[in-house]
Amino acid sequence: MATQLVKGNTAAVIGALYAGCDCYFGYPITPASEILQEASKYFPKLGRKFVQAESEEAAINMVYGAASTGHRVMTASSGPGISLKQEGVSYMAGAELPCVIVDIMRAGPGLGNIGPEQGDYNQVVKGGGHGNYKNIVLAPNSVQEMCDFVIKGFELAFKYRNPVVVLADGVLGQMVESLQFPEVSEKPEIDTEWAVSGTAETRENLITSIFLDFNQLEEFNYKIQEKYDLIEEQEVDCDEYMTEDANIILVSYGISSRICKSAVDQARKEGIKVGLFRPKTLFPFPKEELKTIADSKECTFVSVEMSNGQMLEDIKLAIECSRPTELVYRMGGNLITMDQVLDSIRKIAGEE
Amino acid sequence: MKSLLAPGHRGCAGCCDAMAAKFTLMGAGEDCIVVNPTGCLEVMTTPFPETSWEVPWVHSLFENAAAVGSGVEAALKALGKKGNTKIVVMGGDGASLDIGMRSISGAFERGHDLTYVCIDNEAYMNTGVQRSGATPFDASTTTSPAGKVSFGNPRPKKNMPAIIAAHGSPYVATTSIGYPKDMINKVKKATEIEGPTYIHAHAPCTTGWGFDTSKTVEVAKMAVNTGLWPLYEMEDGEVTKVRKLGKNIKPVEDYLKMQRRFRHLFSMEGGEEEIAKIQAIADKNIEVYGL
Repeated sequence: MATQLVKGNTAAVIGALYAGCDCYFGYPITPASEILQEASKYFPKLGRKFVQAESEEAAINMVYGAASTGHRVMTASSGPGISLKQEGVSYMAGAELPCVIVDIMRAGPGLGNIGPEQGDYNQVVKGGGHGNYKNIVLAPNSVQEMCDFVIKGFELAFKYRNPVVVLADGVLGQMVESLQFPEVSEKPEIDTEWAVSGTAETRENLITSIFLDFNQLEEFNYKIQEKYDLIEEQEVDCDEYMTEDANIILVSYGISSRICKSAVDQARKEGIKVGLFRPKTLFPFPKEELKTIADSKECTFVSVEMSNGQMLEDIKLAIECSRPTELVYRMGGNLITMDQVLDSIRKIAGEE
Repeated sequence: MKSLLAPGHRGCAGCCDAMAAKFTLMGAGEDCIVVNPTGCLEVMTTPFPETSWEVPWVHSLFENAAAVGSGVEAALKALGKKGNTKIVVMGGDGASLDIGMRSISGAFERGHDLTYVCIDNEAYMNTGVQRSGATPFDASTTTSPAGKVSFGNPRPKKNMPAIIAAHGSPYVATTSIGYPKDMINKVKKATEIEGPTYIHAHAPCTTGWGFDTSKTVEVAKMAVNTGLWPLYEMEDGEVTKVRKLGKNIKPVEDYLKMQRRFRHLFSMEGGEEEIAKIQAIADKNIEVYGL
């Protein structure tokens, strides 16, 4: 298979094309704009649809419309743009529509700046829009995974009829690494069971999220909770690196996890038993896996993130606060440095 | 006339936004509050903690500058402090014609006493030259790239001044940064008229359009002189004044060939027919406005 040096944002478009995504809707925002630009270049050439919307809200609702027809559709944005899309995401979750949304996180709050951050964790992993819904959230940490996770995202979106967010940061979007192209180019068929695609067999299908009857709406809410339970059972994905004998467990996703891996290697040279636990899915969050580690030994968990402890809360919940936790973080567009992580590791090791 | 936009900002050499902001402030005067949504102008003039603005300045997100302007105006009135203070909203074409359209429409329909200045450089320059509703027919941008399946942007510019006029605005004018006096006078007039008034300023972008940094004014003038950007004023929905071109009308080719974004029209097969379509747009303007 072909290997090429590409940007993370480009890799997301390549993933979409191989996944059989045939409609892209988007709006410019740094540092996600290359996804829009590359889609405008490649989608029309391949006979697929590219539409630049007049706003983020229009883009997500075009996704809503196109997803209703059963097609594979994608959009991408960054922090402020994702905030604007939240109403549409809630409607998609409510109408049980599949789509992939790529979030190339930048620094906030407000306009903030265009540097990398992981401050969208709460607004993406915890729903963000109104109502009792959840997004499936995948967290790549390389250009290769920017492509692969978009493909996996479409698979999960259609398996569960639910929005999937590929949650990446400004570094992953902008950095260049080698990408091994996918082997299979999918040609998905439209599921006539639920889609509204203008054919005789789909004439009676209905896409909606309105339930005027309180009990009916509650029943629907129970039904989607069961779906989320099933997702938690089936779809958790994580990587563990040298955690087996470790008594310091770094927990980190996205670009921060790459820095943590280097810190683990360095600390191991110094004889400190440290490991890295990397969630690849943020919803479902790898609760059981973290709990298993917490139950098996005395250890300290360190959440390493480019946000104000947003993931730390999920770690504490997962381990039921049974072990000490620490937070190593930067914000404002700054990357965590290996030294910063090492300082924390050494401090914890010294106290033991 | 004193410039109220301090030098030393981070605009490109030959930046159209800097000129537009300077002329706007010259027209509006010192007693004004500027509301400025995200865009090149905001980014280059206000890298915290520095600012080029020598008047009070409020930043808003992309889609809501006119709403923020409405709020400022309503609050000043509520406090009994509106007096002669002008509320000037300055947004780019993406912020005005696309994502901010709804809040502009609301502000004009409600009749707030403010002046909205659209600085139209015909694409999203701050994020890397993506097309907007103001991008002209056949311009190549990063999201309307010219190539095998396209000559560039497939649609003509949205006629924003007409949309605003349809809201019943007492004063709507088009202008160009190539004609500073015209722009300053129109902004002055707009801010002196009570109610929601609108200035649409054509502003060639050296980076996004692809021309030498010394040519900003030349390109701006050529847009006017080909008839592609007519300068006119509308009062209560009627065109009351037009800048006549007379014998000075230039063929659109003279304007297109100055810019990289139209370069493909001179090299691609079928380019001539496309240029003829653009000439037809100019001819229509010449006829409609009696240029």
